[in-house]
Amino acid sequence: MIKKKKEQTGLKSNRPTSPHIQIYRWNISSLTSIFHRLSGVALYFSVILIAWFIVFYSTKINVGETETCDCLMMTVMRSIFTLAAIAITFSLYYHFCNGIRHLFWDMGKGFDLKIANRNAIIVIISALALTIISISSVVYLKLF
Amino acid sequence: MNKIKIAPSTKSGSSHWLMQRFSAIALIPLTIWLTLSFVEILQDPQGYLPVFFAYPFNAVMGILLITTSLYHGSLGMRVIIEDYITNSFKIYFYIMLVNFTSILTAVASVIAILRLHLLS
Repeated sequence: MIKKKKEQTGLKSNRPTSPHIQIYRWNISSLTSIFHRLSGVALYFSVILIAWFIVFYSTKINVGETETCDCLMMTVMRSIFTLAAIAITFSLYYHFCNGIRHLFWDMGKGFDLKIANRNAIIVIISALALTIISISSVVYLKLF
Repeated sequence: MNKIKIAPSTKSGSSHWLMQRFSAIALIPLTIWLTLSFVEILQDPQGYLPVFFAYPFNAVMGILLITTSLYHGSLGMRVIIEDYITNSFKIYFYIMLVNFTSILTAVASVIAILRLHLLS
């Protein structure tokens, strides 16, 4: 089995990979850790996209001008972008809160199982609350 | 008896770990600035967004945010690539790809923000 895999991938060393997510039973500590990585990857790609958006925005001569279009593709793209913006907002708040939790771990605090689980729930709830506050304020400002 | 082969230390792991934490600490105030500036922008997007980077503070914070987050992101992507890919050639290829993309994006966005700062 290993030999076959070795031949398929052509790897020279037979070092183990880190255990993948489907092996473990779901619990709150693994969930927060996995989602920390997932949101980090999502934020990395979104930062690249936003940076290139700024680059293309800066190349426009009349910076203040905006183009409007009533075509179907624009509506579809706009709804996709809205969904992506909500996902990115949640990822940012979650990565921010959980990153602070990780920094406290690096200082050697909060390793007790009960406190770690309680902090995980605090992180998730605060990230959700911040996302809901942000989105509702955007909707509120657009409505009025 | 098989000899146990251990990958040679590159002597750069601890600085990687430390720099990831430093950039994470630096990103805390920058993220708060981003959220607060979004509050400002949303009050008048059409009027405020074109002149957003004309303010020196916004330009400085924008450049710092993009470069620091790309640095932090490339360090994080490196860890993820090393964890989930076994082929050593692929590992180096993807790490190089991530680094090149990050540097290219950082340089381009810094120049773009400077252009917006000077022109608008």
